Amino acid sequence: MNEQRPPRALRMSYLVASIAGVGFFAMSVLLLGVWPGQVLEEQTRVMSPEHPLGLSASERRGREIYSREGCAYCHTQQVRYLHSDMERFGAPTLAWETRFDYPHLWGTRRIGPDLARESGSHPADWHFVHFYAPRSVVADSVMPAYSAMFDGSPDRPKQDARDLVAYLETLGRDRELAGSEGEAHARANCNCDKDEMSQMAFHAPELNANPHKTRRTGSPPALVTGSESRGKDLYARNCASCHGPQGRADGPGAAGLHPPPTNLAEHYYRYDRLSIVLTNGIAGTAMPAWRDFSIADRSALATFVRTLYVPQPEPTLPQNLLDLGARVYKENCAQCHGSTGAGDGTAVSELRIAPSNFRTGRPTLGETLRVLRNGIDGTQMAPWGADTNGRLSEAELSAVAYYVRSLLVVQSSD
Amino acid sequence: MSSQSKSAGSSVNQQLVYAHGLAAVVMLFVSITFGIIASTELLWPDLGGGSPWLSWGRLRYDHTQGILFGWLGNAFLAFLYHAVPVLTGRSVTSARLGQWLFGLWNFVIVVPGWMLVLAGFSQPLEWAEFPLVIDAFVVLALLLMAVQFLPPFFARGIEDLYVSSWYIIGGLIFTLFAYPMGNFVPELVPGARGAAFSGLWIHDAVGLFVTPLALAIIYFVIPAASRRPIYSHFLSMLGFWLLFFLYPLNGTHHYVFSVIPMSAQIGAITASALLGVDVILVVANLLLSLRGSGWFPRDLPLRFVSTATVFYLLVSIQGSVQAQMSVNQAVHFSDWVIGHSHLAMLGFATFAAAGGIGHAWQRIPWARYNHRAMDWSYWLLFAGLAAMFINLTIAGVVEARLWQSNAPWLDSVRAVRPFWIGRTHSSLLIVAGFIAFFMGLTTGPKGAGLAAVEETVGLDAIDEISPRLSASHEVHGAAS
Repeated sequence: MNEQRPPRALRMSYLVASIAGVGFFAMSVLLLGVWPGQVLEEQTRVMSPEHPLGLSASERRGREIYSREGCAYCHTQQVRYLHSDMERFGAPTLAWETRFDYPHLWGTRRIGPDLARESGSHPADWHFVHFYAPRSVVADSVMPAYSAMFDGSPDRPKQDARDLVAYLETLGRDRELAGSEGEAHARANCNCDKDEMSQMAFHAPELNANPHKTRRTGSPPALVTGSESRGKDLYARNCASCHGPQGRADGPGAAGLHPPPTNLAEHYYRYDRLSIVLTNGIAGTAMPAWRDFSIADRSALATFVRTLYVPQPEPTLPQNLLDLGARVYKENCAQCHGSTGAGDGTAVSELRIAPSNFRTGRPTLGETLRVLRNGIDGTQMAPWGADTNGRLSEAELSAVAYYVRSLLVVQSSD
Repeated sequence: MSSQSKSAGSSVNQQLVYAHGLAAVVMLFVSITFGIIASTELLWPDLGGGSPWLSWGRLRYDHTQGILFGWLGNAFLAFLYHAVPVLTGRSVTSARLGQWLFGLWNFVIVVPGWMLVLAGFSQPLEWAEFPLVIDAFVVLALLLMAVQFLPPFFARGIEDLYVSSWYIIGGLIFTLFAYPMGNFVPELVPGARGAAFSGLWIHDAVGLFVTPLALAIIYFVIPAASRRPIYSHFLSMLGFWLLFFLYPLNGTHHYVFSVIPMSAQIGAITASALLGVDVILVVANLLLSLRGSGWFPRDLPLRFVSTATVFYLLVSIQGSVQAQMSVNQAVHFSDWVIGHSHLAMLGFATFAAAGGIGHAWQRIPWARYNHRAMDWSYWLLFAGLAAMFINLTIAGVVEARLWQSNAPWLDSVRAVRPFWIGRTHSSLLIVAGFIAFFMGLTTGPKGAGLAAVEETVGLDAIDEISPRLSASHEVHGAAS
């Protein structure tokens, strides 16, 4: 069997080869693990803001839930240095942003969108409804429902759901908080002026480019009359789950939202108002922006939404009633809603959710009175009725309801 | 010579081959059930009814861990219990150790691992989803595997090893080294730094565990079942060393365009391209060894491994291509990669494992064997894999295109639904294929495996295995 034993030198070569094998492996660990690790550690040291926020106990628990449910297997947490990623999600992920990630949750598959910049993209009530019944706020989503984290309805989240949402709010938070000084600090210490790719981290169009993230300002495009059938289709897919099939705010997603979705059958809106809402969302509410929809699609949606409004008879009012309404409005409403009803009163900057603009949209009389009597859950619009705190009499309520409805400025193009 | 090989044959612990072979198939059914439910949940997301135990993420963890440990792990163990005594002429270290290892692998690692993941105890790390407590037992099991299988090789004398032996030794030792990189280091090293180590294991799980053992099977079964020596032992060894040199250097290609230093990314991408060249070398040697056997040999274990060889070529070339930046930036994160991993694990590794189990099974005189069922199994798996791969690859291209456009995100989810439906349906063919495989091992007359070998390649293929595999036959091998 062994009559042709190889010479001793050859036998030694196997020993050499075995050492080489271990060497290859050690080399891979050094070249692809240890050395990049040192570079990244140094980057973290010099580029991180001095006091990044760690995770609170609740946020840490949320992170564990995110881990155990395999969220990272559909949602990456890593914006790549690629324009396609940056336009969709925002600034590329820097090493220091991941300094508290034990273990990392970068992920290698995107079924849902990247979440590295999720912080500030959606309010908590939206998240709760989304976890409870994902398809009630995101049509055609394939995300599993996490209803076991709730006590039977989306507005009764258990601790798990609250922790998970708290964790999502931390994704990208440190970079947001670092602000422009933080960016300047990171950029100055990056020592990468000549490295085009590294520079991309500081040249993203936006830090958080989530097209659904709401914002208070931002110039909306002019919308025109669009295809009603296309609008109907888009509405059924994307809006009906909250606003209801007829716009009556009775969709399955409506139940857990605070404030509740607008009843579109009870509101007349100008095109420019709808453009602002569709382009910017309504900051502080679950109404997301739809900037990823083309202008033609937003026009189509606006056109369809306007057909949902059910006009009601408009009585002509005696002048003394309107005068009373104007006085009540000036005394009680103008601080927030503005003296002309444009939603630009002096107190606006203090409000989480912007007050209604009565010049670009008009609620029905019934809706106006309901809001005056009940307030709007989840906003600073308080109840004004006699049965709540007696601030306004029935006559004053009616008068001011008629008055605000007179503030609409009809545009010739509408 | 023949007296030595006879004694080698009789030292195979057939009970352990049988036990691991059956366990592999049972675990396989559980693992693919996880996968099928998960893929169906992408079509009907409310299928699980909000139950945490049926939620997509946990099923997805269990699917891949089950395939890696439950199916491939058991299949490799079954093969090792057959191959190590044949290759070395010596028994494995201990039959008692074998029983403990069987229990440890199945009832301390795989089954509790699955349950813990479903109950919410896991790690969010690819190919490392079982929780840390299970990882500790995996390391123990890998150590015991080294104790069980490596001493016969060293006792035999290392200068006289056939290439399968090298792959077995390399696979067992380097898995032991690589495993902590993906399972422990990212728990200790945060974020981007941890991801760099994670990338090493993501690739090493396939490159240092699955690939070497699958290649050990292929290199073993081809000469043993075809009665022809391997074309060139020199190419075999060159391929082996290049593989162990290049495979670990691939890791970072899972994080291209990330913040991980570009030179590490480029190094990994270069290694990925070179790996493709190495695989061409290995596969050329294997296909040259198969010449004369035809594309679809009648001996089914041989047919399984020869097809595995072709899948190995395809999946490796695909890997080299998709690691390149221009391709990677488009298809990374998409279903394209899911198609790639199924081609690797279900195409290359599973076909090799099925061939390895089948080959060892045929040589257990008291085991049942059903040639027709095996034939059905081969074609059903072939068709199922092809359908799945094509569906996922197209889905990946569709996703990539939509992600590069300014279409809303959900459009990419809506657009691939038809392909996901196709993928889920393709799994029916795969289930049918595995049922046939199970029948191939459990129905039919006892000893039919031997009869099938006798009929297809002749009886001398059974007891003249060892000398044909010996490295000292290099000269004859290269000459023939």
